[in-house]
Amino acid sequence: MSKSNKLFSLIAGLVLAMSLLLTGCGGGGGSTTGNAAADSGSGAAAPAASEIRTVTPGVLTVGSDCDYPPFIEMNGEQPQGFEYDLLSAIATEMGYELEYLPPQNFDTLLASVASETKMDVGCSSFTITDDRKKLIDFCTPYFDSNQAVVALIDSSYTSAMDFNGKVVGAQSGTTGADWVRENLTDSGTTLKEYNQTSEVMAALVAGDIEGAFYDEPVAAEWASTLYTNTHIVESIPTGEQYGFAVSKGNPELLEAINDTLVIIKNNGTFDRIFLSYFPDLTPPSLGANG
Amino acid sequence: MSTTKKYSTVASALRSFVALVAVLSLVVCVVGPTPEARALTVDKTTAQPNQSDGNQIIGGVPTRITWEATVGDDEEIKEIHLVFPAGTTLGEGANTKATVLDGLARLETPQENTITDEGTVIDFAEPVASGLLIRVEIFYVALPAESGHYTLTGRYVDGEGTERELEESPAIAVISVTVVESITQWLDEQPWVEWWNSQLFLRVFFNPQLIVASVPTLFQGWLRSLGLVLVGFPLAIPIGLAVSFLRMARFRIVRFFASIYVNVIRGTPLFLQIYIAFFGLPFLGVSIDSYLLGILVLAMNSSAYLAEIFRAGIQSIHKGQFEASASLGMNAVQTMFSVILPQTVRRVIPTATSEFILLYKDTSLLAAVGVMEQMMFAKSMVASSGNMTPYIVAAGYYLLVTLPLTKIIGSFEKKLAAAEGHSSEPPDKKKKRKRLQKTEDAPSDSFAPPHDNFRRGNGLMGPKI
Repeated sequence: MSKSNKLFSLIAGLVLAMSLLLTGCGGGGGSTTGNAAADSGSGAAAPAASEIRTVTPGVLTVGSDCDYPPFIEMNGEQPQGFEYDLLSAIATEMGYELEYLPPQNFDTLLASVASETKMDVGCSSFTITDDRKKLIDFCTPYFDSNQAVVALIDSSYTSAMDFNGKVVGAQSGTTGADWVRENLTDSGTTLKEYNQTSEVMAALVAGDIEGAFYDEPVAAEWASTLYTNTHIVESIPTGEQYGFAVSKGNPELLEAINDTLVIIKNNGTFDRIFLSYFPDLTPPSLGANG
Repeated sequence: MSTTKKYSTVASALRSFVALVAVLSLVVCVVGPTPEARALTVDKTTAQPNQSDGNQIIGGVPTRITWEATVGDDEEIKEIHLVFPAGTTLGEGANTKATVLDGLARLETPQENTITDEGTVIDFAEPVASGLLIRVEIFYVALPAESGHYTLTGRYVDGEGTERELEESPAIAVISVTVVESITQWLDEQPWVEWWNSQLFLRVFFNPQLIVASVPTLFQGWLRSLGLVLVGFPLAIPIGLAVSFLRMARFRIVRFFASIYVNVIRGTPLFLQIYIAFFGLPFLGVSIDSYLLGILVLAMNSSAYLAEIFRAGIQSIHKGQFEASASLGMNAVQTMFSVILPQTVRRVIPTATSEFILLYKDTSLLAAVGVMEQMMFAKSMVASSGNMTPYIVAAGYYLLVTLPLTKIIGSFEKKLAAAEGHSSEPPDKKKKRKRLQKTEDAPSDSFAPPHDNFRRGNGLMGPKI
């Protein structure tokens, strides 16, 4: 009896210490973009900060797996990328501080957003799908994406269907993994799922898998920077769209983010951020959300 | 003789005629449909696997159908009417969405769509231009419950308002409802399940439908995990024994290297060793099957712990045994294998078994590097369902092995204590074990598990059983 009590208090103490550590880290990492809403002249339609419920009042707490350049990645302790800049602009416009939690596995993020206990916004290049919409809400789509299959440059594959019956990899919980399950239906196909896309790429380089399936913009980025011995075998047009995830129980926050997106679209901030990352693409209208 | 010859020539002529006709008809078949160029070419049709314990498409259970077609040259598409196979039903929230892509660029395409049991209609506000890809996703439709291959048919309206037949889509293979799925469906209708699932805790951790779905799926994972340890552990025994001999060798240099092996492996997390092996070896051009590599890493790790268990076991044998063997004229090897080791085996069995349990639980770490085992199966089910129940079922499978083994260790230790002449009264024994665990170096004539402190510090391991 006393032994189990001791164990319990040990666990409780550990959990407490961990949570303290986590909040401590988050606080240190993210408060760089805090700015008052009053500063921006165009903030007429932005809702007042006090009306919206967030995990920490006045702070937009964001969860991400931070492993998806050019959208979101870690630069030392600090996240960076298109989605980070976009959320920073949104938070600034709303008069909130922005705080990124330490990276968390992709396949656990949506459940974390839905539980409303840790984070307000999920930011990990989420494709908006009907299945995910059952669990959480998405903001207006801000980026159009597709799938791609990546292999080593010296491999002989020429199309995505060449991987039917092969050992392939994808990040757990992604639309890439779903694509493999739906399209590579040969019984010999083995799908290996990893926590991080960079682990999928490590497995590809190591020869553990023949092909890696994930979003095309990231594949293009990595093939030209970090994994130059890989290339995109085929880009698969899927017409996916990214959205930030917000809990279904917090429609006020969703509305505020969508309104703010329109504001920063109208004042040119959105296009400036978008074009600084994707100079060859046309920024989306962010108008009516279908 | 001549008649048969005649017959055979007639027969061969006939045969070549038949062959000619066959070839001609084939040519006609191939050439036939091409003159009428298709305005809309169906590229693919797939359905999302909806089997909760596998990757197949089950009839009668909602799925998402994806249908893709390319608009032909100089054509425009105004409307698409897709007809579902007979027996298709709509699930809750069924809807249709069409995405139009120019290469990889998604185009804004206002559309009005309707969906019924019979099919779906996509009405584009502006005709879709030639060369574009139309990607239609139909959400939450259930294909017919009978197994078979189903296709989508239908028609389309081109830019001039002409209505034409669609070519038949590639077939979707559908299996009939599985046992698991029919139990799940039955559970869906039960009032007690509805009440059960309305409780957050019960729904998230003990969802009845997911328990039913995960038991057969995780069974495969359980077998694979068991396979890892059942091959890895026996492999670790001879290595561990060899290392334990080296640890007790006469030459200091041999002892030194053996102790480096043991201390480095026991002093670093298994998780780290796995990462080094799986991501480091390929850099050296070494490519090993990941399941096999997993076994090797587990065996290497366990051999270091076993080496210490064996060493402690051997050294716990009383000196008198060595002296007695020597007086009988036995040499060192004979002494070791016919006198010392047989006694050691009995003493190390409990500790070696708990090492087996630890190693079995540690197979779960291999999930992080893509080895298909229990944890991996559970993780992927949790990812697709957003529910913790598969983890609970996985815990059950682990306990299925660890609990009986723990029980066996307990009874074995009791027997051992009785045989060795210690008091087997429980309170006394308990006190003694506690004292032994506290002291770092157990006295050489009494046996204490040497690996306890090391494993605790590792952080990733569960508490020792």
